[in-house]
Amino acid sequence: MRLIVHDLAEPEYDAWLSGFCRETDEVIGLEGDIRHCVGCFGCWVRTPGTCVLKDSYKHMGERLAACEEFVLISRNVYGGYSPFVSNVLNRTLPYVLPYFTTKNGETHHQQRYERQIRFTVHFYGEGMTGAERETAQSLVGANALNLDASGYTVAFHDTLVSLKEVQ
Amino acid sequence: MRIALVNGSPKGGASNSGILLEKLKPLIAEGNELSVYRVNVKPLKPEQYGELNEADVLVLAFPLYFDAIPSHLLRMLVEFEQYRQSKQGNTDLIVYALINNGFYEGHQCKIAADIVSNWCSRSGLRFGMAVGHGAGEMFKSLSRVPLGKGPLKNLGAAMHQLSAAIHARSSAESLFIQPNFPRIAWRLAATHSFWHAQAKKNGLRPKELRRQAFQQSR
Ligand SMILES: Cc1cc2nc3c(=O)[nH]c(=O)nc-3n(C[C@H](O)[C@H](O)[C@H](O)COP(=O)(O)O)c2cc1C
Repeated sequence: MRLIVHDLAEPEYDAWLSGFCRETDEVIGLEGDIRHCVGCFGCWVRTPGTCVLKDSYKHMGERLAACEEFVLISRNVYGGYSPFVSNVLNRTLPYVLPYFTTKNGETHHQQRYERQIRFTVHFYGEGMTGAERETAQSLVGANALNLDASGYTVAFHDTLVSLKEVQ
Repeated sequence: MRIALVNGSPKGGASNSGILLEKLKPLIAEGNELSVYRVNVKPLKPEQYGELNEADVLVLAFPLYFDAIPSHLLRMLVEFEQYRQSKQGNTDLIVYALINNGFYEGHQCKIAADIVSNWCSRSGLRFGMAVGHGAGEMFKSLSRVPLGKGPLKNLGAAMHQLSAAIHARSSAESLFIQPNFPRIAWRLAATHSFWHAQAKKNGLRPKELRRQAFQQSR
Protein backbone atom coordinates (compact mmCIF):
# COMPACT_ATOMS: atom_id res chain seq x y z
CA MET A 1 0.00 0.00 0.00
CA ARG A 2 1.17 3.55 -0.76
CA LEU A 3 0.40 6.50 1.48
CA ILE A 4 0.12 9.57 -0.74
CA VAL A 5 0.07 13.14 0.57
CA HIS A 6 -0.61 15.89 -1.96
CA ASP A 7 -1.46 19.59 -1.98
CA LEU A 8 -3.45 19.77 -5.22
CA ALA A 9 -6.84 21.46 -5.31
CA GLU A 10 -9.70 19.13 -6.19
CA PRO A 11 -10.05 20.00 -9.92
CA GLU A 12 -6.27 19.68 -10.41
CA TYR A 13 -6.26 16.41 -8.56
CA ASP A 14 -9.11 15.04 -10.64
CA ALA A 15 -7.50 16.17 -13.88
CA TRP A 16 -3.94 15.06 -13.24
CA LEU A 17 -3.77 12.61 -10.43
CA SER A 18 -6.85 10.46 -10.26
CA GLY A 19 -5.10 8.13 -12.75
CA PHE A 20 -1.94 8.08 -10.66
CA CYS A 21 -3.61 6.56 -7.63
CA ARG A 22 -4.33 2.87 -7.35
CA GLU A 23 -7.23 1.37 -5.50
CA THR A 24 -5.04 0.17 -2.68
CA ASP A 25 -3.50 3.61 -2.08
CA GLU A 26 -4.40 5.79 0.82
CA VAL A 27 -4.59 9.43 -0.21
CA ILE A 28 -4.37 12.49 2.02
CA GLY A 29 -5.32 15.79 0.43
CA LEU A 30 -6.23 19.31 1.50
CA GLU A 31 -9.73 18.49 2.72
CA GLY A 32 -10.51 18.78 6.40
CA ASP A 33 -8.78 20.65 9.18
CA ILE A 34 -5.25 19.93 10.20
CA ARG A 35 -3.53 21.37 13.24
CA HIS A 36 0.11 22.40 13.27
CA CYS A 37 2.55 20.50 15.50
CA VAL A 38 3.10 22.48 18.71
CA GLY A 39 6.46 20.91 19.56
CA CYS A 40 5.28 19.35 22.84
CA PHE A 41 6.86 15.89 22.27
CA GLY A 42 3.68 14.34 23.68
CA CYS A 43 3.85 11.76 20.86
CA TRP A 44 7.11 10.54 22.44
CA VAL A 45 6.59 10.96 26.18
CA ARG A 46 2.83 11.11 26.89
CA THR A 47 1.05 8.86 24.41
CA PRO A 48 4.02 7.13 22.74
CA GLY A 49 3.38 6.57 19.04
CA THR A 50 0.29 8.82 18.79
CA CYS A 51 0.03 12.60 18.56
CA VAL A 52 -1.83 14.33 21.42
CA LEU A 53 -3.58 16.86 19.15
CA LYS A 54 -7.17 15.89 18.54
CA ASP A 55 -7.75 15.80 14.82
CA SER A 56 -7.70 13.17 12.08
CA TYR A 57 -3.90 13.40 11.74
CA LYS A 58 -3.06 12.11 15.22
CA HIS A 59 -2.33 8.61 13.90
CA MET A 60 0.19 9.63 11.22
CA GLY A 61 2.93 7.56 12.88
CA GLU A 62 1.07 4.27 12.59
CA ARG A 63 -0.31 5.17 9.16
CA LEU A 64 3.25 5.56 7.96
CA ALA A 65 4.17 2.27 9.57
CA ALA A 66 1.35 0.57 7.66
CA CYS A 67 2.49 1.57 4.15
CA GLU A 68 5.21 0.22 1.87
CA GLU A 69 5.81 3.51 0.14
CA PHE A 70 5.34 7.08 1.36
CA VAL A 71 4.68 9.45 -1.55
CA LEU A 72 4.62 13.25 -1.32
CA ILE A 73 3.33 15.41 -4.16
CA SER A 74 4.13 18.98 -3.33
CA ARG A 75 4.65 22.37 -4.86
CA ASN A 76 8.32 23.24 -4.52
CA VAL A 77 8.21 26.10 -2.03
CA TYR A 78 11.65 27.74 -1.54
CA GLY A 79 13.32 24.36 -2.01
CA GLY A 80 11.07 22.49 0.39
CA TYR A 81 7.50 21.21 0.72
CA SER A 82 4.41 23.39 0.66
CA PRO A 83 2.91 24.41 4.04
CA PHE A 84 0.23 21.68 3.89
CA VAL A 85 2.56 18.82 2.95
CA SER A 86 5.07 19.97 5.53
CA ASN A 87 2.28 20.20 8.11
CA VAL A 88 1.37 16.53 7.51
CA LEU A 89 5.04 15.53 7.56
CA ASN A 90 5.61 17.36 10.85
CA ARG A 91 2.76 15.34 12.32
CA THR A 92 4.53 12.05 11.52
CA LEU A 93 7.04 12.55 14.35
CA PRO A 94 5.56 9.63 16.38
CA TYR A 95 6.77 7.30 13.59
CA VAL A 96 10.28 7.51 15.09
CA LEU A 97 11.61 7.20 18.64
CA PRO A 98 13.10 9.99 20.74
CA TYR A 99 16.26 7.90 21.06
CA PHE A 100 19.37 8.45 19.01
CA THR A 101 21.59 6.45 16.74
CA THR A 102 24.68 7.49 14.80
CA LYS A 103 24.62 7.24 10.99
CA ASN A 104 27.38 8.53 8.73
CA GLY A 105 28.91 10.16 11.81
CA GLU A 106 25.72 12.14 12.53
CA THR A 107 22.98 11.78 15.12
CA HIS A 108 19.64 10.46 13.85
CA HIS A 109 16.56 8.73 15.26
CA GLN A 110 16.12 5.18 16.38
CA GLN A 111 13.11 3.58 14.70
CA ARG A 112 9.90 2.66 16.49
CA TYR A 113 8.95 0.10 13.84
CA GLU A 114 11.10 -2.68 12.42
CA ARG A 115 10.04 -2.46 8.82
CA GLN A 116 11.29 0.13 6.39
CA ILE A 117 9.36 2.21 3.86
CA ARG A 118 10.29 3.68 0.49
CA PHE A 119 10.17 7.45 0.19
CA THR A 120 9.17 9.13 -3.09
CA VAL A 121 8.73 12.86 -3.64
CA HIS A 122 7.32 14.67 -6.68
CA PHE A 123 7.97 18.40 -6.64
CA TYR A 124 6.05 20.50 -9.12
CA GLY A 125 6.00 24.17 -10.00
CA GLU A 126 6.75 26.54 -12.84
CA GLY A 127 10.09 28.30 -12.79
CA MET A 128 11.78 26.36 -9.99
CA THR A 129 15.27 27.82 -9.65
CA GLY A 130 18.45 25.74 -9.65
CA ALA A 131 18.90 26.53 -5.97
CA GLU A 132 15.35 25.40 -5.18
CA ARG A 133 15.91 22.07 -6.93
CA GLU A 134 19.22 21.54 -5.16
CA THR A 135 17.81 22.35 -1.72
CA ALA A 136 14.79 20.09 -2.34
CA GLN A 137 17.06 17.23 -3.40
CA SER A 138 19.09 17.53 -0.17
CA LEU A 139 15.96 17.85 1.93
CA VAL A 140 14.46 14.59 0.70
CA GLY A 141 17.78 12.80 1.29
CA ALA A 142 17.94 14.14 4.84
CA ASN A 143 14.31 13.16 5.54
CA ALA A 144 14.92 9.68 4.13
CA LEU A 145 17.84 9.23 6.50
CA ASN A 146 15.80 10.25 9.56
CA LEU A 147 12.83 8.10 8.53
CA ASP A 148 15.28 5.25 7.84
CA ALA A 149 13.71 4.79 4.38
CA SER A 150 14.91 1.75 2.42
CA GLY A 151 15.45 4.10 -0.54
CA TYR A 152 14.22 7.40 -1.93
CA THR A 153 13.42 9.08 -5.24
CA VAL A 154 13.02 12.77 -6.06
CA ALA A 155 11.37 14.02 -9.25
CA PHE A 156 10.76 17.54 -10.53
CA HIS A 157 7.85 18.54 -12.77
CA ASP A 158 7.58 21.93 -14.43
CA THR A 159 3.91 21.39 -15.10
CA LEU A 160 1.13 19.28 -13.72
CA VAL A 161 0.88 17.69 -17.16
CA SER A 162 4.18 15.94 -16.65
CA LEU A 163 2.95 14.70 -13.27
CA LYS A 164 0.30 12.81 -15.17
CA GLU A 165 2.94 10.76 -16.95
CA VAL A 166 4.17 9.37 -13.64
CA GLN A 167 2.89 6.03 -12.49
CA MET B 1 17.41 51.00 12.82
CA ARG B 2 14.38 48.84 13.39
CA ILE B 3 15.06 45.20 14.09
CA ALA B 4 12.18 42.72 14.12
CA LEU B 5 12.92 39.54 16.07
CA VAL B 6 10.63 36.66 15.20
CA ASN B 7 10.36 33.71 17.57
CA GLY B 8 9.06 30.90 15.37
CA SER B 9 8.82 28.17 17.99
CA PRO B 10 5.27 26.77 18.18
CA LYS B 11 5.69 25.80 21.85
CA GLY B 12 3.16 27.32 24.21
CA GLY B 13 5.64 28.64 26.75
CA ALA B 14 9.41 28.93 26.96
CA SER B 15 11.37 27.92 23.87
CA ASN B 16 14.95 27.45 22.83
CA SER B 17 14.44 29.93 20.01
CA GLY B 18 13.36 32.43 22.67
CA ILE B 19 16.48 31.72 24.76
CA LEU B 20 18.68 32.35 21.70
CA LEU B 21 16.90 35.63 20.95
CA GLU B 22 17.34 36.75 24.58
CA LYS B 23 21.08 36.09 24.25
CA LEU B 24 21.25 38.05 21.00
CA LYS B 25 19.25 41.06 22.20
CA PRO B 26 21.88 42.77 24.40
CA LEU B 27 24.42 42.50 21.57
CA ILE B 28 22.25 44.42 19.10
CA ALA B 29 20.22 46.70 21.39
CA GLU B 30 22.43 49.81 21.29
CA GLY B 31 21.06 52.46 18.97
CA ASN B 32 18.37 50.15 17.60
CA GLU B 33 14.69 49.64 18.15
CA LEU B 34 13.90 45.98 18.82
CA SER B 35 10.46 44.38 18.56
CA VAL B 36 9.70 40.73 19.23
CA TYR B 37 7.01 38.77 17.40
CA ARG B 38 5.82 35.30 18.29
CA VAL B 39 4.76 33.26 15.30
CA ASN B 40 3.12 30.09 16.52
CA VAL B 41 0.08 28.24 15.32
CA LYS B 42 -1.84 31.54 15.39
CA PRO B 43 -1.11 33.52 12.22
CA LEU B 44 0.25 37.07 12.32
CA LYS B 45 -2.19 39.95 11.89
CA PRO B 46 -2.07 42.07 8.71
CA GLU B 47 -0.72 45.06 10.64
CA GLN B 48 2.10 42.91 11.96
CA TYR B 49 3.04 41.94 8.40
CA GLY B 50 3.07 45.67 7.71
CA GLU B 51 5.49 46.25 10.59
CA LEU B 52 7.82 43.45 9.48
CA ASN B 53 7.73 44.83 5.95
CA GLU B 54 8.91 48.26 7.13
CA ALA B 55 11.70 46.96 9.38
CA ASP B 56 15.40 47.28 8.47
CA VAL B 57 16.42 43.88 9.80
CA LEU B 58 14.49 40.66 10.30
CA VAL B 59 15.85 37.93 12.57
CA LEU B 60 14.03 34.61 12.21
CA ALA B 61 14.63 32.30 15.17
CA PHE B 62 13.12 28.84 14.83
CA PRO B 63 13.53 25.14 15.59
CA LEU B 64 14.47 22.67 12.88
CA TYR B 65 11.51 20.39 11.95
CA PHE B 66 12.15 17.52 9.56
CA ASP B 67 15.35 19.17 8.36
CA ALA B 68 13.37 22.25 7.36
CA ILE B 69 11.15 25.08 8.62
CA PRO B 70 8.17 24.17 10.87
CA SER B 71 4.92 24.27 8.86
CA HIS B 72 3.28 27.12 10.78
CA LEU B 73 6.31 29.37 10.20
CA LEU B 74 6.52 28.31 6.56
CA ARG B 75 2.92 29.42 6.14
CA MET B 76 3.90 32.83 7.55
CA LEU B 77 6.81 33.09 5.09
CA VAL B 78 4.48 32.34 2.17
CA GLU B 79 1.99 34.93 3.42
CA PHE B 80 4.76 37.49 3.85
CA GLU B 81 5.99 36.87 0.30
CA GLN B 82 2.43 37.53 -0.92
CA TYR B 83 2.14 40.60 1.31
CA ARG B 84 5.29 42.05 -0.24
CA GLN B 85 3.86 41.61 -3.70
CA SER B 86 0.99 43.91 -2.77
CA LYS B 87 2.90 46.38 -0.57
CA GLN B 88 6.48 47.16 -1.42
CA GLY B 89 7.73 48.11 2.06
CA ASN B 90 11.47 48.29 2.69
CA THR B 91 13.23 47.21 -0.51
CA ASP B 92 16.50 46.73 1.36
CA LEU B 93 15.22 44.54 4.19
CA ILE B 94 17.90 42.05 5.30
CA VAL B 95 17.15 38.69 6.91
CA TYR B 96 19.15 36.62 9.40
CA ALA B 97 18.26 33.12 10.59
CA LEU B 98 18.92 31.82 14.10
CA ILE B 99 18.13 28.13 13.95
CA ASN B 100 18.39 25.46 16.63
CA ASN B 101 17.96 21.72 16.26
CA GLY B 102 17.49 18.77 18.56
CA PHE B 103 20.30 16.58 17.28
CA TYR B 104 23.84 17.35 18.33
CA GLU B 105 25.25 18.56 15.02
CA GLY B 106 24.39 22.14 14.12
CA HIS B 107 25.25 21.55 10.47
CA GLN B 108 21.96 19.65 10.14
CA CYS B 109 20.41 23.15 10.00
CA LYS B 110 22.09 23.88 6.66
CA ILE B 111 19.09 22.91 4.49
CA ALA B 112 16.72 25.09 6.53
CA ALA B 113 19.16 27.99 6.13
CA ASP B 114 19.11 27.42 2.35
CA ILE B 115 15.31 27.46 2.40
CA VAL B 116 15.38 30.84 4.15
CA SER B 117 17.85 32.08 1.55
CA ASN B 118 15.63 30.82 -1.31
CA TRP B 119 12.66 32.53 0.33
CA CYS B 120 14.62 35.79 0.37
CA SER B 121 15.29 35.49 -3.38
CA ARG B 122 11.58 34.96 -4.06
CA SER B 123 10.48 37.80 -1.79
CA GLY B 124 12.92 40.52 -2.79
CA LEU B 125 14.77 40.31 0.51
CA ARG B 126 18.50 40.24 1.18
CA PHE B 127 19.86 37.15 2.97
CA GLY B 128 22.41 38.06 5.66
CA MET B 129 23.60 34.83 7.27
CA ALA B 130 22.39 31.95 9.42
CA VAL B 131 23.57 30.55 12.71
CA GLY B 132 22.54 26.93 13.29
CA HIS B 133 23.13 25.43 16.74
CA GLY B 134 22.73 21.77 17.67
CA ALA B 135 21.63 20.15 20.95
CA GLY B 136 18.99 22.86 21.33
CA GLU B 137 17.08 21.20 24.15
CA MET B 138 20.19 21.70 26.34
CA PHE B 139 19.80 25.48 26.44
CA LYS B 140 17.34 25.53 29.32
CA SER B 141 19.72 23.65 31.61
CA LEU B 142 22.50 26.08 30.66
CA SER B 143 20.56 29.20 31.58
CA ARG B 144 23.13 30.24 34.20
CA VAL B 145 26.12 29.80 31.89
CA PRO B 146 27.29 33.15 30.48
CA LEU B 147 27.45 33.43 26.71
CA GLY B 148 30.95 32.62 25.46
CA LYS B 149 31.82 30.46 28.48
CA GLY B 150 32.03 26.67 28.92
CA PRO B 151 29.50 24.82 26.74
CA LEU B 152 28.35 28.16 25.27
CA LYS B 153 31.78 29.12 23.96
CA ASN B 154 30.99 28.39 20.31
CA LEU B 155 27.63 30.09 20.64
CA GLY B 156 29.32 33.20 22.06
CA ALA B 157 31.67 33.45 19.07
CA ALA B 158 28.83 32.86 16.61
CA MET B 159 26.55 35.43 18.27
CA HIS B 160 29.40 37.92 18.12
CA GLN B 161 29.73 37.44 14.35
CA LEU B 162 25.98 37.53 13.88
CA SER B 163 25.57 40.77 15.82
CA ALA B 164 28.47 42.38 13.93
CA ALA B 165 26.78 41.46 10.63
CA ILE B 166 23.44 42.83 11.90
CA HIS B 167 25.00 46.14 12.99
CA ALA B 168 26.60 46.51 9.55
CA ARG B 169 23.54 45.08 7.76
CA SER B 170 25.97 42.92 5.84
CA SER B 171 26.00 39.35 4.58
CA ALA B 172 28.49 36.83 5.93
CA GLU B 173 29.23 33.11 5.86
CA SER B 174 26.68 31.07 7.82
CA LEU B 175 27.87 29.25 10.95
CA PHE B 176 26.80 25.78 12.07
CA ILE B 177 27.94 24.84 15.55
CA GLN B 178 27.22 22.73 18.63
CA PRO B 179 27.87 23.16 22.35
CA ASN B 180 31.39 22.71 23.71
CA PHE B 181 30.29 19.51 25.37
CA PRO B 182 31.14 15.98 24.18
CA ARG B 183 28.52 14.31 22.01
CA ILE B 184 28.46 11.13 24.08
CA ALA B 185 27.77 13.10 27.26
CA TRP B 186 25.04 15.08 25.52
CA ARG B 187 23.42 11.87 24.28
CA LEU B 188 23.38 10.30 27.75
CA ALA B 189 21.99 13.46 29.31
CA ALA B 190 19.31 13.80 26.62
CA THR B 191 18.20 10.19 27.01
CA HIS B 192 18.14 10.03 30.80
CA SER B 193 17.65 13.57 32.09
CA PHE B 194 15.36 14.63 29.26
CA TRP B 195 13.30 11.82 27.71
CA HIS B 196 13.20 9.45 30.66
CA ALA B 197 12.57 12.28 33.11
CA GLN B 198 9.63 13.51 31.02
CA ALA B 199 8.25 9.98 30.66
CA LYS B 200 8.39 9.55 34.43
CA LYS B 201 6.45 12.77 34.95
CA ASN B 202 3.74 11.24 32.76
CA GLY B 203 3.78 8.00 34.72
CA LEU B 204 5.51 6.01 31.97
CA ARG B 205 8.48 3.68 32.23
CA PRO B 206 11.30 4.07 29.67
CA LYS B 207 10.27 0.81 28.02
CA GLU B 208 6.82 2.18 27.34
CA LEU B 209 8.23 4.96 25.15
CA ARG B 210 8.92 2.25 22.56
CA ARG B 211 5.26 1.30 22.34
CA GLN B 212 4.12 0.50 18.81
CA ALA B 213 0.74 1.75 17.74
CA PHE B 214 -0.75 -0.26 14.87
CA GLN B 215 -3.50 0.40 12.39
CA GLN B 216 -6.31 -2.03 13.02
CA SER B 217 -8.02 -3.03 9.83
CA ARG B 218 -5.52 -2.42 7.09
C1 LIG C 1 7.97 17.76 14.63
C2 LIG C 1 9.41 17.96 15.04
C3 LIG C 1 10.42 17.70 14.11
C4 LIG C 1 11.76 17.86 14.46
N1 LIG C 1 12.71 17.59 13.51
C5 LIG C 1 14.03 17.72 13.83
C6 LIG C 1 15.05 17.43 12.86
O1 LIG C 1 14.77 17.09 11.70
N2 LIG C 1 16.34 17.52 13.25
C7 LIG C 1 16.69 17.92 14.50
O2 LIG C 1 17.88 17.98 14.79
N3 LIG C 1 15.75 18.24 15.45
C8 LIG C 1 14.43 18.15 15.12
N4 LIG C 1 13.47 18.46 16.07
C9 LIG C 1 13.88 18.95 17.39
C10 LIG C 1 13.79 20.48 17.58
O3 LIG C 1 14.46 21.15 16.55
C11 LIG C 1 14.41 20.85 18.92
O4 LIG C 1 13.70 20.24 19.94
C12 LIG C 1 14.50 22.36 19.18
O5 LIG C 1 15.40 22.57 20.24
C13 LIG C 1 13.17 23.01 19.57
O6 LIG C 1 13.36 24.41 19.64
P1 LIG C 1 12.28 25.44 20.24
O7 LIG C 1 12.28 25.27 21.73
O8 LIG C 1 12.77 26.79 19.83
O9 LIG C 1 10.95 25.11 19.65
C14 LIG C 1 12.12 18.29 15.76
C15 LIG C 1 11.10 18.54 16.70
C16 LIG C 1 9.76 18.38 16.35
C17 LIG C 1 8.70 18.65 17.37
